[in-house]
Amino acid sequence: MLSGIDYFVVIVYMAGIMLLGLYFKRFVHSSQDYFLAGRMMPFWAIGMSIVVSDIGAQDFVGVSGQGYMFGISVGNFDWIGSAPAMLLAAFIFVPYFWKAGLYTIPEYLGKRYNDYVRTLASATWIVFFAFNLGVIFRASAILLETLMGWPVWFSIILTAVVVGLYTIFGGLTAVVMTDVIQMIIMFIGGAAVVFLGFYNVGGWHGLVEKMSAMGPEYQNRFDLVQPIDTQTPFPWTGILFGLTFVMANAYMIGNQAVVQRCLSAKNEWHAKASMVWGAFLKMFIPILVLFPGLIASVLHPGLEDGDKAFPTLIGSLLPPGLGGLLFAALLAGLMSSIDSYLNSTATLWTKDIYQKFIRKEATDGHYLAVGRIATVILLIVGVLTSPVSEYFPGMYVAIQTFLSFFQGPIFSILLLGIFFRWITPSGGLAGLVGGMMVSILLFVNRSKLFTIQEPFLYVSWWSFVAGFVITIVVSLFTTPHPVERLYGFVYRLEKTENETVN
Amino acid sequence: MLKALKYLLNFEWLSGVGMGAAKSIFLILFVVIGILVLLIPKDYIYEGVENRRWWHNLKLWAWGDLVFIFITYYIF
Repeated sequence: MLSGIDYFVVIVYMAGIMLLGLYFKRFVHSSQDYFLAGRMMPFWAIGMSIVVSDIGAQDFVGVSGQGYMFGISVGNFDWIGSAPAMLLAAFIFVPYFWKAGLYTIPEYLGKRYNDYVRTLASATWIVFFAFNLGVIFRASAILLETLMGWPVWFSIILTAVVVGLYTIFGGLTAVVMTDVIQMIIMFIGGAAVVFLGFYNVGGWHGLVEKMSAMGPEYQNRFDLVQPIDTQTPFPWTGILFGLTFVMANAYMIGNQAVVQRCLSAKNEWHAKASMVWGAFLKMFIPILVLFPGLIASVLHPGLEDGDKAFPTLIGSLLPPGLGGLLFAALLAGLMSSIDSYLNSTATLWTKDIYQKFIRKEATDGHYLAVGRIATVILLIVGVLTSPVSEYFPGMYVAIQTFLSFFQGPIFSILLLGIFFRWITPSGGLAGLVGGMMVSILLFVNRSKLFTIQEPFLYVSWWSFVAGFVITIVVSLFTTPHPVERLYGFVYRLEKTENETVN
Repeated sequence: MLKALKYLLNFEWLSGVGMGAAKSIFLILFVVIGILVLLIPKDYIYEGVENRRWWHNLKLWAWGDLVFIFITYYIF
Protein backbone atom coordinates (compact mmCIF):
# COMPACT_ATOMS: atom_id res chain seq x y z
CA MET A 1 0.00 0.00 0.00
CA LEU A 2 1.16 3.54 -0.72
CA SER A 3 2.13 6.08 1.91
CA GLY A 4 1.13 9.75 2.06
CA ILE A 5 4.09 10.95 -0.01
CA ASP A 6 3.29 8.31 -2.63
CA TYR A 7 -0.26 9.55 -2.98
CA PHE A 8 1.10 13.07 -3.37
CA VAL A 9 3.42 11.95 -6.19
CA VAL A 10 0.58 10.16 -7.96
CA ILE A 11 -1.81 13.09 -7.70
CA VAL A 12 0.82 15.58 -8.89
CA TYR A 13 1.65 13.28 -11.79
CA MET A 14 -1.95 12.84 -12.90
CA ALA A 15 -2.74 16.53 -12.60
CA GLY A 16 0.49 17.47 -14.37
CA ILE A 17 -0.11 15.17 -17.30
CA MET A 18 -3.67 16.37 -17.64
CA LEU A 19 -2.64 20.03 -17.61
CA LEU A 20 0.20 19.39 -20.05
CA GLY A 21 -2.18 17.62 -22.40
CA LEU A 22 -4.77 20.35 -22.12
CA TYR A 23 -2.07 22.95 -22.90
CA PHE A 24 -1.84 21.53 -26.41
CA LYS A 25 -5.49 22.28 -27.04
CA ARG A 26 -4.35 25.70 -28.27
CA PHE A 27 -2.63 24.08 -31.25
CA VAL A 28 -5.75 22.29 -32.48
CA HIS A 29 -7.56 24.34 -35.10
CA SER A 30 -8.33 21.74 -37.76
CA SER A 31 -8.94 18.04 -38.20
CA GLN A 32 -5.36 17.67 -39.45
CA ASP A 33 -4.12 19.27 -36.23
CA TYR A 34 -6.31 16.89 -34.24
CA PHE A 35 -5.55 13.65 -36.08
CA LEU A 36 -2.01 14.30 -37.38
CA ALA A 37 -0.66 16.96 -35.01
CA GLY A 38 -0.50 19.39 -37.93
CA ARG A 39 2.23 17.18 -39.50
CA MET A 40 4.83 19.01 -37.38
CA MET A 41 6.17 16.28 -35.11
CA PRO A 42 9.94 15.60 -34.71
CA PHE A 43 11.31 12.06 -34.90
CA TRP A 44 12.39 11.85 -31.26
CA ALA A 45 8.91 12.56 -29.92
CA ILE A 46 7.28 10.14 -32.37
CA GLY A 47 9.74 7.35 -31.57
CA MET A 48 9.22 7.76 -27.83
CA SER A 49 5.48 7.90 -28.32
CA ILE A 50 5.44 4.71 -30.41
CA VAL A 51 7.35 2.83 -27.74
CA VAL A 52 5.43 4.03 -24.72
CA SER A 53 2.09 3.52 -26.46
CA ASP A 54 3.02 -0.05 -27.16
CA ILE A 55 4.03 -0.67 -23.57
CA GLY A 56 1.30 -0.33 -21.06
CA ALA A 57 0.39 -1.53 -17.61
CA GLN A 58 -0.69 -4.74 -19.33
CA ASP A 59 2.93 -5.35 -20.29
CA PHE A 60 4.23 -4.79 -16.78
CA VAL A 61 1.67 -7.31 -15.57
CA GLY A 62 1.36 -9.61 -18.58
CA VAL A 63 4.98 -9.77 -19.77
CA SER A 64 6.28 -10.04 -16.22
CA GLY A 65 3.75 -12.82 -15.75
CA GLN A 66 4.94 -14.61 -18.88
CA GLY A 67 8.57 -14.06 -17.81
CA TYR A 68 7.71 -15.54 -14.42
CA MET A 69 6.14 -18.60 -16.02
CA PHE A 70 8.39 -19.16 -19.05
CA GLY A 71 11.59 -17.11 -18.68
CA ILE A 72 13.40 -14.74 -20.99
CA SER A 73 11.89 -16.10 -24.22
CA VAL A 74 8.97 -13.68 -23.89
CA GLY A 75 11.56 -10.95 -24.56
CA ASN A 76 11.46 -12.01 -28.19
CA PHE A 77 8.41 -9.81 -28.61
CA ASP A 78 10.36 -6.62 -27.97
CA TRP A 79 13.65 -7.68 -29.55
CA ILE A 80 13.25 -9.71 -32.71
CA GLY A 81 9.57 -8.84 -32.63
CA SER A 82 10.32 -5.15 -33.09
CA ALA A 83 13.64 -4.12 -34.62
CA PRO A 84 13.46 -5.93 -38.00
CA ALA A 85 9.84 -4.92 -38.49
CA MET A 86 10.49 -1.30 -37.55
CA LEU A 87 13.37 -1.12 -40.02
CA LEU A 88 11.15 -2.53 -42.77
CA ALA A 89 8.51 0.02 -41.85
CA ALA A 90 11.05 2.85 -41.75
CA PHE A 91 12.61 2.22 -45.14
CA ILE A 92 9.76 0.77 -47.23
CA PHE A 93 6.25 1.46 -45.97
CA VAL A 94 6.28 4.64 -43.88
CA PRO A 95 7.85 6.88 -46.56
CA TYR A 96 5.09 5.93 -49.01
CA PHE A 97 2.36 6.38 -46.42
CA TRP A 98 3.79 9.77 -45.43
CA LYS A 99 4.24 11.03 -48.99
CA ALA A 100 0.66 10.07 -49.83
CA GLY A 101 -0.56 12.38 -47.04
CA LEU A 102 -2.64 9.62 -45.47
CA TYR A 103 -4.50 9.72 -42.19
CA THR A 104 -5.06 5.98 -41.80
CA ILE A 105 -3.67 2.64 -42.97
CA PRO A 106 -7.10 1.52 -44.24
CA GLU A 107 -7.03 4.71 -46.34
CA TYR A 108 -3.94 3.30 -48.06
CA LEU A 109 -5.71 -0.01 -48.55
CA GLY A 110 -8.67 1.84 -50.03
CA LYS A 111 -6.47 3.68 -52.53
CA ARG A 112 -4.37 0.60 -53.34
CA TYR A 113 -7.31 -1.84 -53.46
CA ASN A 114 -10.89 -0.62 -52.97
CA ASP A 115 -13.37 0.72 -50.45
CA TYR A 116 -14.46 -2.76 -49.35
CA VAL A 117 -10.94 -3.56 -48.19
CA ARG A 118 -10.64 -0.15 -46.57
CA THR A 119 -13.90 -0.46 -44.67
CA LEU A 120 -13.29 -4.03 -43.54
CA ALA A 121 -9.80 -3.19 -42.30
CA SER A 122 -10.98 -0.05 -40.57
CA ALA A 123 -13.94 -1.74 -38.89
CA THR A 124 -11.70 -4.57 -37.72
CA TRP A 125 -9.21 -2.16 -36.16
CA ILE A 126 -11.99 -0.22 -34.47
CA VAL A 127 -13.36 -3.39 -32.88
CA PHE A 128 -9.85 -4.52 -31.87
CA PHE A 129 -8.98 -1.19 -30.27
CA ALA A 130 -12.21 -1.20 -28.31
CA PHE A 131 -11.41 -4.69 -26.96
CA ASN A 132 -7.80 -3.70 -26.35
CA LEU A 133 -8.93 -0.75 -24.30
CA GLY A 134 -10.92 -3.18 -22.18
CA VAL A 135 -7.85 -5.39 -21.69
CA ILE A 136 -5.75 -2.41 -20.62
CA PHE A 137 -8.35 -1.28 -18.14
CA ARG A 138 -8.55 -4.79 -16.75
CA ALA A 139 -4.75 -4.93 -16.33
CA SER A 140 -4.78 -1.66 -14.46
CA ALA A 141 -7.57 -2.90 -12.23
CA ILE A 142 -5.46 -5.84 -11.07
CA LEU A 143 -2.59 -3.50 -10.27
CA LEU A 144 -4.67 -0.97 -8.46
CA GLU A 145 -6.48 -3.60 -6.48
CA THR A 146 -3.20 -5.15 -5.31
CA LEU A 147 -1.23 -1.97 -4.75
CA MET A 148 -3.72 0.66 -3.72
CA GLY A 149 -6.67 -1.32 -2.48
CA TRP A 150 -8.92 0.90 -4.56
CA PRO A 151 -12.20 -0.44 -5.93
CA VAL A 152 -11.71 -1.55 -9.52
CA TRP A 153 -14.36 0.61 -11.12
CA PHE A 154 -13.26 3.73 -9.24
CA SER A 155 -9.71 3.38 -10.58
CA ILE A 156 -10.87 2.79 -14.11
CA ILE A 157 -13.19 5.76 -14.19
CA LEU A 158 -10.60 8.09 -12.64
CA THR A 159 -8.05 7.12 -15.28
CA ALA A 160 -10.63 7.42 -18.01
CA VAL A 161 -11.48 10.97 -16.98
CA VAL A 162 -7.84 12.16 -16.85
CA VAL A 163 -6.83 10.56 -20.15
CA GLY A 164 -10.10 11.42 -21.81
CA LEU A 165 -9.87 15.12 -21.06
CA TYR A 166 -6.53 15.80 -22.71
CA THR A 167 -7.11 13.35 -25.56
CA ILE A 168 -10.48 14.84 -26.41
CA PHE A 169 -9.22 18.40 -26.47
CA GLY A 170 -5.53 18.13 -27.39
CA GLY A 171 -5.68 15.48 -30.10
CA LEU A 172 -2.56 13.74 -31.36
CA THR A 173 -0.25 16.59 -30.30
CA ALA A 174 -1.31 16.15 -26.68
CA VAL A 175 -1.07 12.37 -27.02
CA VAL A 176 2.47 12.42 -28.41
CA MET A 177 3.85 15.11 -26.11
CA THR A 178 2.39 13.59 -22.95
CA ASP A 179 3.78 10.25 -24.16
CA VAL A 180 7.27 11.77 -24.14
CA ILE A 181 6.94 12.66 -20.45
CA GLN A 182 5.25 9.35 -19.72
CA MET A 183 8.04 7.38 -21.32
CA ILE A 184 10.65 9.10 -19.19
CA ILE A 185 8.64 8.43 -16.03
CA MET A 186 7.97 4.85 -17.07
CA PHE A 187 11.67 4.19 -17.69
CA ILE A 188 12.68 5.71 -14.34
CA GLY A 189 9.98 3.88 -12.38
CA GLY A 190 10.58 0.56 -14.16
CA ALA A 191 14.35 0.84 -13.75
CA ALA A 192 13.91 1.45 -10.02
CA VAL A 193 12.07 -1.87 -9.64
CA VAL A 194 14.69 -3.75 -11.66
CA PHE A 195 17.52 -2.14 -9.69
CA LEU A 196 15.95 -3.04 -6.33
CA GLY A 197 15.12 -6.51 -7.60
CA PHE A 198 18.69 -7.20 -8.67
CA TYR A 199 19.93 -5.80 -5.38
CA ASN A 200 17.76 -8.31 -3.53
CA VAL A 201 18.76 -11.35 -5.58
CA GLY A 202 22.49 -10.55 -5.65
CA GLY A 203 22.77 -9.05 -9.11
CA TRP A 204 22.61 -10.81 -12.45
CA HIS A 205 24.87 -13.67 -11.37
CA GLY A 206 22.81 -14.13 -8.22
CA LEU A 207 19.66 -14.36 -10.30
CA VAL A 208 21.14 -16.93 -12.65
CA GLU A 209 22.62 -19.03 -9.84
CA LYS A 210 19.47 -19.01 -7.72
CA MET A 211 17.23 -19.86 -10.64
CA SER A 212 19.50 -22.65 -11.80
CA ALA A 213 19.35 -24.12 -8.31
CA MET A 214 15.56 -24.18 -8.37
CA GLY A 215 15.38 -27.33 -10.45
CA PRO A 216 15.74 -28.70 -13.97
CA GLU A 217 12.57 -27.02 -15.20
CA TYR A 218 14.31 -23.67 -14.71
CA GLN A 219 17.39 -24.57 -16.76
CA ASN A 220 16.20 -23.01 -20.01
CA ARG A 221 14.71 -19.86 -18.50
CA PHE A 222 17.56 -17.81 -20.01
CA ASP A 223 17.22 -19.17 -23.53
CA LEU A 224 15.64 -16.81 -26.04
CA VAL A 225 15.44 -19.57 -28.63
CA GLN A 226 13.17 -22.36 -27.43
CA PRO A 227 12.82 -25.83 -29.01
CA ILE A 228 9.88 -26.76 -31.20
CA ASP A 229 8.47 -29.12 -28.59
CA THR A 230 8.61 -26.52 -25.80
CA GLN A 231 5.56 -26.30 -23.58
CA THR A 232 5.80 -22.51 -23.64
CA PRO A 233 3.83 -20.58 -26.31
CA PHE A 234 7.19 -19.50 -27.81
CA PRO A 235 8.88 -22.26 -29.87
CA TRP A 236 11.55 -20.85 -32.20
CA THR A 237 9.47 -21.70 -35.24
CA GLY A 238 6.59 -19.63 -33.89
CA ILE A 239 8.94 -16.77 -33.01
CA LEU A 240 10.56 -16.80 -36.44
CA PHE A 241 7.58 -17.43 -38.70
CA GLY A 242 4.66 -16.14 -36.65
CA LEU A 243 6.25 -13.26 -34.77
CA THR A 244 9.21 -12.03 -36.84
CA PHE A 245 7.80 -12.55 -40.31
CA VAL A 246 4.15 -11.73 -39.66
CA MET A 247 2.93 -10.34 -36.36
CA ALA A 248 5.77 -7.89 -35.83
CA ASN A 249 5.48 -6.52 -39.34
CA ALA A 250 1.72 -6.42 -39.16
CA TYR A 251 1.91 -4.55 -35.89
CA MET A 252 4.53 -2.01 -36.91
CA ILE A 253 3.28 -1.47 -40.46
CA GLY A 254 -0.43 -2.14 -40.30
CA ASN A 255 -1.26 -0.81 -36.84
CA GLN A 256 -2.99 2.54 -37.02
CA ALA A 257 -1.89 3.54 -33.52
CA VAL A 258 1.76 3.10 -34.48
CA VAL A 259 1.82 4.40 -38.03
CA GLN A 260 -0.42 7.40 -37.38
CA ARG A 261 2.40 8.92 -35.35
CA CYS A 262 4.81 8.57 -38.26
CA LEU A 263 2.26 10.24 -40.52
CA SER A 264 2.44 13.27 -38.22
CA ALA A 265 6.19 13.72 -38.90
CA LYS A 266 7.39 17.10 -40.16
CA ASN A 267 9.12 15.57 -43.19
CA GLU A 268 9.97 12.23 -44.75
CA TRP A 269 13.32 11.91 -42.98
CA HIS A 270 11.69 12.45 -39.59
CA ALA A 271 9.06 9.84 -40.47
CA LYS A 272 11.75 7.26 -41.23
CA ALA A 273 13.98 8.25 -38.33
CA SER A 274 11.12 7.95 -35.84
CA MET A 275 10.87 4.22 -36.53
CA VAL A 276 14.62 3.57 -36.37
CA TRP A 277 14.88 5.57 -33.12
CA GLY A 278 11.84 3.74 -31.75
CA ALA A 279 13.48 0.40 -32.56
CA PHE A 280 16.47 1.42 -30.44
CA LEU A 281 14.30 2.39 -27.47
CA LYS A 282 12.34 -0.84 -27.81
CA MET A 283 15.49 -2.84 -27.04
CA PHE A 284 15.33 -1.65 -23.43
CA ILE A 285 11.71 -2.56 -22.84
CA PRO A 286 12.31 -6.21 -21.84
CA ILE A 287 14.64 -4.99 -19.10
CA LEU A 288 11.75 -3.03 -17.61
CA VAL A 289 8.87 -5.43 -18.13
CA LEU A 290 10.43 -8.89 -18.34
CA PHE A 291 13.21 -8.85 -15.76
CA PRO A 292 10.80 -8.17 -12.85
CA GLY A 293 9.12 -11.48 -13.74
CA LEU A 294 12.45 -13.32 -13.66
CA ILE A 295 13.33 -11.71 -10.34
CA ALA A 296 9.90 -12.56 -8.92
CA SER A 297 10.34 -16.21 -9.89
CA VAL A 298 13.35 -16.31 -7.54
CA LEU A 299 11.97 -14.13 -4.74
CA HIS A 300 8.38 -15.38 -4.85
CA PRO A 301 8.31 -18.87 -6.38
CA GLY A 302 5.11 -20.89 -6.47
CA LEU A 303 2.60 -18.26 -7.59
CA GLU A 304 -0.11 -20.00 -9.59
CA ASP A 305 -1.08 -16.95 -11.62
CA GLY A 306 1.85 -15.33 -13.46
CA ASP A 307 -0.08 -12.07 -13.67
CA LYS A 308 0.30 -11.72 -9.91
CA ALA A 309 4.12 -11.79 -10.11
CA PHE A 310 4.68 -8.09 -10.75
CA PRO A 311 2.23 -6.75 -8.16
CA THR A 312 3.60 -9.21 -5.60
CA LEU A 313 7.18 -8.18 -6.36
CA ILE A 314 6.63 -4.47 -6.03
CA GLY A 315 4.55 -5.01 -2.92
CA SER A 316 7.56 -6.67 -1.28
CA LEU A 317 10.37 -4.55 -2.75
CA LEU A 318 9.50 -0.90 -2.77
CA PRO A 319 10.35 1.30 0.22
CA PRO A 320 7.99 4.16 1.15
CA GLY A 321 8.37 7.04 -1.31
CA LEU A 322 9.19 4.92 -4.32
CA GLY A 323 5.74 3.41 -4.52
CA GLY A 324 4.31 6.62 -5.87
CA LEU A 325 6.98 6.84 -8.54
CA LEU A 326 6.35 3.31 -9.70
CA PHE A 327 2.64 3.78 -9.63
CA ALA A 328 3.10 6.90 -11.74
CA ALA A 329 5.19 4.81 -14.15
CA LEU A 330 2.46 2.19 -14.40
CA LEU A 331 -0.13 4.86 -14.91
CA ALA A 332 2.11 6.37 -17.59
CA GLY A 333 2.16 3.08 -19.47
CA LEU A 334 -1.56 2.69 -19.05
CA MET A 335 -2.50 6.23 -20.01
CA SER A 336 -0.20 6.37 -23.01
CA SER A 337 -1.76 3.24 -24.43
CA ILE A 338 -5.28 4.41 -23.82
CA ASP A 339 -4.79 7.87 -25.32
CA SER A 340 -3.21 6.31 -28.42
CA TYR A 341 -6.02 3.88 -29.00
CA LEU A 342 -8.61 6.55 -28.41
CA ASN A 343 -7.09 8.99 -30.88
CA SER A 344 -6.38 6.35 -33.50
CA THR A 345 -9.83 4.84 -33.31
CA ALA A 346 -11.42 8.26 -33.54
CA THR A 347 -9.32 8.87 -36.66
CA LEU A 348 -10.39 5.57 -38.21
CA TRP A 349 -14.02 6.24 -37.48
CA THR A 350 -13.99 9.82 -38.70
CA LYS A 351 -11.91 9.34 -41.84
CA ASP A 352 -12.76 5.82 -42.97
CA ILE A 353 -16.37 5.44 -41.91
CA TYR A 354 -18.01 8.78 -41.17
CA GLN A 355 -16.42 10.92 -43.88
CA LYS A 356 -16.59 8.08 -46.38
CA PHE A 357 -20.14 6.83 -45.88
CA ILE A 358 -22.15 9.04 -43.54
CA ARG A 359 -21.32 12.65 -44.45
CA LYS A 360 -18.95 13.19 -47.33
CA GLU A 361 -19.16 16.96 -47.67
CA ALA A 362 -18.90 18.83 -44.41
CA THR A 363 -16.74 21.55 -42.95
CA ASP A 364 -13.40 20.68 -41.41
CA GLY A 365 -14.75 21.87 -38.05
CA HIS A 366 -17.52 19.32 -38.33
CA TYR A 367 -15.04 16.45 -38.71
CA LEU A 368 -13.02 17.81 -35.82
CA ALA A 369 -16.15 17.69 -33.65
CA VAL A 370 -16.95 14.16 -34.88
CA GLY A 371 -13.43 13.05 -33.87
CA ARG A 372 -13.89 14.43 -30.38
CA ILE A 373 -17.32 12.86 -29.91
CA ALA A 374 -15.98 9.52 -31.16
CA THR A 375 -13.22 9.74 -28.55
CA VAL A 376 -15.78 10.15 -25.76
CA ILE A 377 -17.87 7.21 -26.97
CA LEU A 378 -14.81 4.98 -27.31
CA LEU A 379 -13.71 5.79 -23.81
CA ILE A 380 -17.06 4.62 -22.50
CA VAL A 381 -16.94 1.45 -24.64
CA GLY A 382 -13.41 0.67 -23.38
CA VAL A 383 -14.49 0.93 -19.77
CA LEU A 384 -17.58 -1.20 -20.32
CA THR A 385 -15.73 -3.98 -22.22
CA SER A 386 -13.00 -4.42 -19.61
CA PRO A 387 -14.63 -7.55 -18.07
CA VAL A 388 -14.16 -9.47 -21.38
CA SER A 389 -10.46 -10.13 -20.69
CA GLU A 390 -11.40 -12.17 -17.63
CA TYR A 391 -12.29 -15.04 -19.93
CA PHE A 392 -8.70 -15.40 -21.10
CA PRO A 393 -6.02 -16.97 -18.90
CA GLY A 394 -3.25 -14.41 -19.54
CA MET A 395 -3.75 -10.82 -20.56
CA TYR A 396 -0.83 -10.62 -22.89
CA VAL A 397 -1.91 -13.79 -24.63
CA ALA A 398 -5.42 -12.38 -24.83
CA ILE A 399 -4.20 -9.35 -26.75
CA GLN A 400 -2.09 -11.45 -29.07
CA THR A 401 -5.04 -13.73 -29.71
CA PHE A 402 -7.21 -10.81 -30.73
CA LEU A 403 -4.41 -9.60 -32.96
CA SER A 404 -3.73 -12.94 -34.57
CA PHE A 405 -7.20 -13.09 -36.13
CA PHE A 406 -6.49 -10.35 -38.63
CA GLN A 407 -2.87 -9.25 -38.38
CA GLY A 408 -1.62 -11.94 -40.75
CA PRO A 409 -4.16 -11.34 -43.51
CA ILE A 410 -3.82 -7.55 -43.34
CA PHE A 411 -0.03 -7.77 -43.55
CA SER A 412 -0.27 -10.17 -46.50
CA ILE A 413 -2.23 -7.67 -48.58
CA LEU A 414 -0.10 -4.72 -47.44
CA LEU A 415 3.06 -6.56 -48.43
CA LEU A 416 1.77 -7.71 -51.80
CA GLY A 417 0.09 -4.38 -52.47
CA ILE A 418 3.17 -2.24 -51.97
CA PHE A 419 5.57 -4.49 -53.91
CA PHE A 420 3.52 -5.76 -56.87
CA ARG A 421 1.44 -3.60 -59.20
CA TRP A 422 -0.39 -6.62 -60.68
CA ILE A 423 -2.12 -7.46 -57.40
CA THR A 424 -5.79 -6.65 -57.91
CA PRO A 425 -8.53 -5.14 -55.73
CA SER A 426 -10.50 -8.40 -55.83
CA GLY A 427 -7.38 -10.30 -54.85
CA GLY A 428 -6.81 -8.04 -51.87
CA LEU A 429 -10.39 -8.36 -50.65
CA ALA A 430 -10.42 -12.14 -51.09
CA GLY A 431 -7.05 -12.44 -49.34
CA LEU A 432 -8.17 -10.35 -46.39
CA VAL A 433 -11.51 -12.13 -45.91
CA GLY A 434 -10.13 -15.59 -46.65
CA GLY A 435 -7.15 -15.09 -44.35
CA MET A 436 -9.37 -13.93 -41.50
CA MET A 437 -11.66 -16.93 -41.96
CA VAL A 438 -8.66 -19.26 -41.85
CA SER A 439 -7.37 -17.65 -38.67
CA ILE A 440 -10.75 -17.96 -36.96
CA LEU A 441 -11.04 -21.62 -38.06
CA LEU A 442 -7.55 -22.37 -36.74
CA PHE A 443 -8.27 -20.62 -33.46
CA VAL A 444 -11.58 -22.41 -32.93
CA ASN A 445 -9.94 -25.80 -33.61
CA ARG A 446 -6.65 -25.00 -31.89
CA SER A 447 -6.87 -27.84 -29.36
CA LYS A 448 -7.18 -30.39 -32.19
CA LEU A 449 -4.64 -28.84 -34.55
CA PHE A 450 -1.81 -27.46 -32.41
CA THR A 451 0.48 -29.07 -29.88
CA ILE A 452 1.58 -25.93 -27.97
CA GLN A 453 -0.32 -23.78 -25.52
CA GLU A 454 -1.94 -20.67 -27.00
CA PRO A 455 -0.72 -21.11 -30.59
CA PHE A 456 -1.36 -17.51 -31.64
CA LEU A 457 2.02 -17.28 -33.36
CA TYR A 458 1.25 -20.26 -35.57
CA VAL A 459 -2.27 -18.99 -36.24
CA SER A 460 -0.93 -15.64 -37.41
CA TRP A 461 1.65 -17.27 -39.69
CA TRP A 462 -0.78 -19.67 -41.35
CA SER A 463 -3.45 -17.02 -41.75
CA PHE A 464 -0.78 -14.82 -43.37
CA VAL A 465 0.11 -17.66 -45.75
CA ALA A 466 -3.57 -18.18 -46.53
CA GLY A 467 -4.13 -14.48 -47.22
CA PHE A 468 -0.96 -14.33 -49.30
CA VAL A 469 -1.86 -17.30 -51.48
CA ILE A 470 -5.51 -16.32 -51.92
CA THR A 471 -4.54 -12.77 -52.91
CA ILE A 472 -2.10 -14.01 -55.54
CA VAL A 473 -4.44 -16.65 -56.98
CA VAL A 474 -7.42 -14.31 -57.24
CA SER A 475 -5.21 -11.56 -58.70
CA LEU A 476 -4.13 -13.88 -61.49
CA PHE A 477 -7.75 -14.10 -62.68
CA THR A 478 -8.93 -10.53 -62.12
CA THR A 479 -8.09 -7.07 -63.42
CA PRO A 480 -5.60 -4.81 -61.63
CA HIS A 481 -5.91 -1.03 -61.31
CA PRO A 482 -4.38 0.94 -64.18
CA VAL A 483 -0.77 1.89 -63.45
CA GLU A 484 -1.49 5.62 -63.24
CA ARG A 485 -3.82 5.01 -60.29
CA LEU A 486 -1.06 3.20 -58.42
CA TYR A 487 1.58 5.95 -58.54
CA GLY A 488 2.82 6.61 -55.04
CA PHE A 489 1.24 3.47 -53.63
CA VAL A 490 3.58 0.82 -55.03
CA TYR A 491 7.28 0.64 -54.18
CA ARG A 492 9.48 2.36 -56.80
CA LEU A 493 6.48 3.10 -58.99
CA GLU A 494 6.79 6.86 -59.31
CA LYS A 495 5.61 9.33 -61.92
CA THR A 496 8.37 10.35 -64.30
CA GLU A 497 8.97 14.05 -64.84
CA ASN A 498 7.34 13.90 -68.30
CA GLU A 499 4.19 12.30 -66.94
CA THR A 500 3.96 14.88 -64.17
CA VAL A 501 4.23 17.72 -66.69
CA ASN A 502 1.63 16.15 -68.99
CA MET B 1 -5.34 -36.45 -42.69
CA LEU B 2 -5.47 -34.71 -39.33
CA LYS B 3 -2.05 -36.11 -38.48
CA ALA B 4 -0.56 -34.72 -41.69
CA LEU B 5 -2.18 -31.35 -41.04
CA LYS B 6 -0.78 -31.24 -37.51
CA TYR B 7 2.64 -32.19 -38.85
CA LEU B 8 2.49 -29.21 -41.20
CA LEU B 9 0.88 -26.64 -38.92
CA ASN B 10 3.13 -27.33 -35.93
CA PHE B 11 6.34 -27.17 -37.97
CA GLU B 12 7.19 -30.73 -37.01
CA TRP B 13 8.93 -30.95 -40.38
CA LEU B 14 11.55 -28.63 -38.86
CA SER B 15 12.02 -30.73 -35.73
CA GLY B 16 15.33 -32.03 -37.11
CA VAL B 17 16.85 -28.57 -36.89
CA GLY B 18 19.04 -28.41 -33.78
CA MET B 19 18.94 -25.54 -31.32
CA GLY B 20 22.37 -24.33 -32.42
CA ALA B 21 21.23 -24.19 -36.02
CA ALA B 22 18.00 -22.45 -35.02
CA LYS B 23 19.94 -19.80 -33.16
CA SER B 24 22.19 -19.36 -36.18
CA ILE B 25 19.11 -18.72 -38.34
CA PHE B 26 18.17 -15.81 -36.09
CA LEU B 27 21.68 -14.38 -36.22
CA ILE B 28 21.90 -14.78 -39.99
CA LEU B 29 18.61 -12.94 -40.31
CA PHE B 30 20.10 -9.88 -38.61
CA VAL B 31 23.12 -9.99 -40.89
CA VAL B 32 20.89 -10.24 -43.98
CA ILE B 33 18.84 -7.25 -42.82
CA GLY B 34 22.06 -5.31 -42.30
CA ILE B 35 23.13 -6.08 -45.87
CA LEU B 36 19.75 -5.00 -47.22
CA VAL B 37 20.04 -1.72 -45.31
CA LEU B 38 23.46 -1.24 -46.89
CA LEU B 39 21.90 -1.52 -50.35
CA ILE B 40 19.41 1.32 -49.83
CA PRO B 41 20.32 4.31 -52.05
CA LYS B 42 21.82 7.24 -50.12
CA ASP B 43 19.48 9.82 -51.64
CA TYR B 44 16.50 7.84 -50.44
CA ILE B 45 17.90 7.77 -46.90
CA TYR B 46 18.39 11.56 -46.84
CA GLU B 47 15.01 12.45 -48.41
CA GLY B 48 13.66 15.49 -46.56
CA VAL B 49 17.01 16.64 -45.15
CA GLU B 50 18.14 20.11 -46.27
CA ASN B 51 21.66 20.25 -44.86
CA ARG B 52 23.08 16.77 -44.79
CA ARG B 53 25.21 15.78 -41.81
CA TRP B 54 26.76 12.37 -41.11
CA TRP B 55 24.31 11.74 -38.31
CA HIS B 56 21.39 12.08 -40.73
CA ASN B 57 22.51 8.79 -42.24
CA LEU B 58 19.81 6.44 -41.03
CA LYS B 59 21.82 3.45 -42.18
CA LEU B 60 24.15 4.06 -39.22
CA TRP B 61 21.18 4.19 -36.89
CA ALA B 62 19.78 0.96 -38.31
CA TRP B 63 23.12 -0.82 -37.96
CA GLY B 64 23.26 0.33 -34.34
CA ASP B 65 19.90 -1.35 -33.75
CA LEU B 66 21.04 -4.51 -35.49
CA VAL B 67 24.34 -4.74 -33.59
CA PHE B 68 22.46 -4.42 -30.30
CA ILE B 69 19.98 -7.17 -31.18
CA PHE B 70 22.67 -9.40 -32.67
CA ILE B 71 24.65 -9.30 -29.43
CA THR B 72 21.52 -10.00 -27.38
CA TYR B 73 20.68 -13.11 -29.39
CA TYR B 74 24.31 -14.20 -29.48
CA ILE B 75 24.46 -14.12 -25.67
CA PHE B 76 21.06 -15.64 -24.93
